[in-house]
Amino acid sequence: MMSFRHRGLRAVPPTRWSILMVTAVLAAVPGPGEAQQGTVTPHPVPAGEPALGLTFPPLVFRPPPVERREVHGVPIRYLHDPTFPVVDMVVSVRGGYGHLGREWYAAATALPTLLRTGGSTHRSPREVDEVLEALALQLTFGSGGGSISSSLNSLTRTLDEGLTIWQELLLSPGFDSQEVDIWRGQQEDRIRRRVDDPTLLAFTEFNRILYGDHSIGWELTLADIDASRLHPGTLQDLHERLFCRNRMAVGVSGDITWEEVEERLEPFLAAWPTCPDELPEPSPPEIRREAGVFLIPRDLPQTTVVMAHPTSVRLADDPRFFASRVANAILGAGGLSSRLMARLRGEEGLTYGASSLWTAPMRSDGLVGAITSTRSSSTVAATQLILQVMAEMVDTPPEAHEVDRVVDEFINGWVFNFESAAQMVSRQVSYLTSELPEDWLERYLIRLGDVTPQAVHDVFREEVRPEDMTILLVGSPENFDLPPETLGPVHIWTPISPHAPPVDPRHP
Amino acid sequence: MNFSLSLIFPLLLGFQTAAPNPQATCGPGISGSSSLRMEDESELPVQRFILPSGMRFLILPREGAPTVSFVVHYPVGSMQEVPGSTGLAHLVEHMLFKGSSTIGARKPWEEAQLFAQMDAAQDSLLEERGRTSRANPVRVLELQERIRSLEGEARSLAESGEFDAILSRNGARNLNATTSHEATTYYVELPANRAELWFALEADRLRDPVFRDFYSERDVVMEERRARVESSPGGLLNEAYLAAAFPVHPYGLPVVGLMNDLELLTRGQVENFYQTHYGPDQAVVAVVGQVEPDSIQAWAHRYFHDLGRRPPPPPKLVEEPHQRGRRSVEVSFDAEPQLRMGWKIPPESHPDTPALVMLSAILSGGRTSQLHSTLVLEERTATSVGASLGPGSRHTRLFTVGATPRLPHTPADVMAGVKQVLDKVRSEPVSVTEVERVRLQLEASRVRRLQSNFGLALQLAESEGSQGDWQETFRFTDRLVAVTPEEIQAVARRYLREETLTVAILRRPQEPRTP
Repeated sequence: MMSFRHRGLRAVPPTRWSILMVTAVLAAVPGPGEAQQGTVTPHPVPAGEPALGLTFPPLVFRPPPVERREVHGVPIRYLHDPTFPVVDMVVSVRGGYGHLGREWYAAATALPTLLRTGGSTHRSPREVDEVLEALALQLTFGSGGGSISSSLNSLTRTLDEGLTIWQELLLSPGFDSQEVDIWRGQQEDRIRRRVDDPTLLAFTEFNRILYGDHSIGWELTLADIDASRLHPGTLQDLHERLFCRNRMAVGVSGDITWEEVEERLEPFLAAWPTCPDELPEPSPPEIRREAGVFLIPRDLPQTTVVMAHPTSVRLADDPRFFASRVANAILGAGGLSSRLMARLRGEEGLTYGASSLWTAPMRSDGLVGAITSTRSSSTVAATQLILQVMAEMVDTPPEAHEVDRVVDEFINGWVFNFESAAQMVSRQVSYLTSELPEDWLERYLIRLGDVTPQAVHDVFREEVRPEDMTILLVGSPENFDLPPETLGPVHIWTPISPHAPPVDPRHP
Repeated sequence: MNFSLSLIFPLLLGFQTAAPNPQATCGPGISGSSSLRMEDESELPVQRFILPSGMRFLILPREGAPTVSFVVHYPVGSMQEVPGSTGLAHLVEHMLFKGSSTIGARKPWEEAQLFAQMDAAQDSLLEERGRTSRANPVRVLELQERIRSLEGEARSLAESGEFDAILSRNGARNLNATTSHEATTYYVELPANRAELWFALEADRLRDPVFRDFYSERDVVMEERRARVESSPGGLLNEAYLAAAFPVHPYGLPVVGLMNDLELLTRGQVENFYQTHYGPDQAVVAVVGQVEPDSIQAWAHRYFHDLGRRPPPPPKLVEEPHQRGRRSVEVSFDAEPQLRMGWKIPPESHPDTPALVMLSAILSGGRTSQLHSTLVLEERTATSVGASLGPGSRHTRLFTVGATPRLPHTPADVMAGVKQVLDKVRSEPVSVTEVERVRLQLEASRVRRLQSNFGLALQLAESEGSQGDWQETFRFTDRLVAVTPEEIQAVARRYLREETLTVAILRRPQEPRTP
């Protein structure tokens, strides 16, 4: 296969150069109140696909600028787009259960759903449902360990009514006790059904094995959601701790002018309280570092395989981080062309899907590893093949064309980051709440283009140790091709009991 | 890659809830400056042209980021299979990502020779396994190893991942395909300046696909079946449910195929299926994005001009015999219970379809819908409940209610609750407010679906491919909006009857059976 760039000679395809030249302009981030300008100019030399004898015209594209504004001290990101009679708004608030203790976990997990379903202090849940459905509004509420977000999508003509009820739900939630009970019942059911889905079971138990009693490894139990721990009062307390104007960012896009936005955000944001205290920083996890093989016996025709160990690569503007992104894509996160898919699926027909994982949190270690599912009779063979593919990447640098493919895919597909105003604005808001620089996308583009096969090999050699993997198998060992002990001493792992008290499963 | 149900209704009803409340929507809102309004939908500037081969193209130029979505729809799916060769349509979909005599080929002559050798070994394997006396296991293993060895040798002469690699390095997104009972759809999105690449690759694989890595890919599909069906409580239940409802019609056969059938499929069967059903006159291509229609038309002619017409595939005339009594099936599996209930309804072309679609939205579209509010919020016998139409559109099909009982309630408790709600719908018209709710949601979903190039391309191709007219999907929305409460009550009475009901329940082996 021909590649239109030869790494060793640093011959970069013209289209990539044209984008890189412009992103150097993009990287000059404007100051507050200014628009974030983005410009891609045409380059006189076209790109091409030599394998098919094609040349392509240069891409001419000027992404519309996302404006940086502020109302009541809250950063606002705004983009006017009158193409459709629709307005999108997003609110993101720093803080989540990762900042709090286990006693808040159930309430933090319930919070997004019950903000939507629990009514407000002015309206019952039924009245809220009727208004939302009558206005054809789309509201979302979500949370992670570190932030809470909510979005509103409204036809332009129903925005004022939509904004009113959205504000009610965000600032004056009702947390109706009947709705809290319904949520509790649904969670009881979900907890009991957790073992029904082998992939979900594998992921949740793998997190427990690696993270123990840390927020990343927590799983809800019946004890967590008992009425003595989870009730409207705990939800109100949590809401007061998290929903603060000084921790939030707002995005607005669509069929609305800035003057119209400002007129509406003034009262909307004035109503939000300011919290006096910062939330405590999440404690870093103590990730299991020893190698080990764990088995959850389940009578299934297919085995789910998950493996990983800690990695020190952090999310940062650091060459190692960008090299790790390329390394991950080459290993198994890059679809059909990645090594795990090519070997396990393409060549051996062992699996429908295999992927690597390489997480890189900003303030703590992440994980590097792989996941797949395979018929029982190829469990050990598939697991060993994954380890072998990893070992090959430790031993030998990747081919230049492999690095090129990953980098080209990102750079040539860069325009897909600008398909809608809502997408562009919500990305900027997420950068704000996750404390990434606002030109992160542009930096990413430039830094990824600088990654070399040697840099990929270096980060792989430094960070990936196949022999140190913690491996979890969920399946039927009597039907495995070889005894699971072939992979190492096996520990039978008991999935969390629905009734288990919240303790560290590694040190019960 | 994937298999799925028909796309059209999920697109039309891809909403949470609905209903206009005139008092609520007439406030002093913002003066929207939109250049595109709802009534423009049927007047979208779609350009349609047909090549001499019969291949149809729909082009919709859009402003915005310079990207373009391509969707190709073929009206071929598991409907065209016969018992014993289930999974064929889906396997063809997989094989069309393996390259051609150009893409991925290095030593095509030597590769073809190896294909012939491994297919001969496969014939011997089938012969051995088909012996009336017990097959010789040593011989079976030898033949399997020979096929595996030959395929490895052939792999060294080609690059079966080149199709994917070319698209990837050119920035493609969303490269995938789906197979349903009635259609197979291929799609990808590209930066707009690379639109010509799609024509070069698609024409190439239509002209002369090479089904390399056949035997390992067949194993991949078997793994897909293990993941989606045999290890999945919901997948197992759906398969048993459709098999019980359609003992004759191919709707009762799984799109992914039965495991035993998959083991026996041959490269020759895949090639024959492809030649029979993938004529250019069967294809509908939708192109939506920042494109120049003249360029698209020129590339279509340049790249597809030499694809000749083929004889039309044989029609599939099978019909499910009229159901004359309730059917029940239970699946025993180590998982919490689930429930499916389905009543026979006519094909999508029937005039009652809009009212049936509205009925499904009234029953389960949002938290205020009748089934959700009764079973999940009030009685709390279920954690979730939903209504849908399917699994296809061209033949007698099912109005399905699926539910997950909330412990300690049983499927029988949930069935009683569903019956109670349906009795009410049959006995009195639904309220005007409920119908208005759904109508407003339809209006909103009309706007929202216009926002996505990819969603629009899927919708245009599906409508043109399955109904012969891209505008039909928008007319259908108009028919939905015109449905009255009385019409909804009438279809509930006409179709939701005990004698056409099929019930499927998944329960643990040790649990008591439904009386």
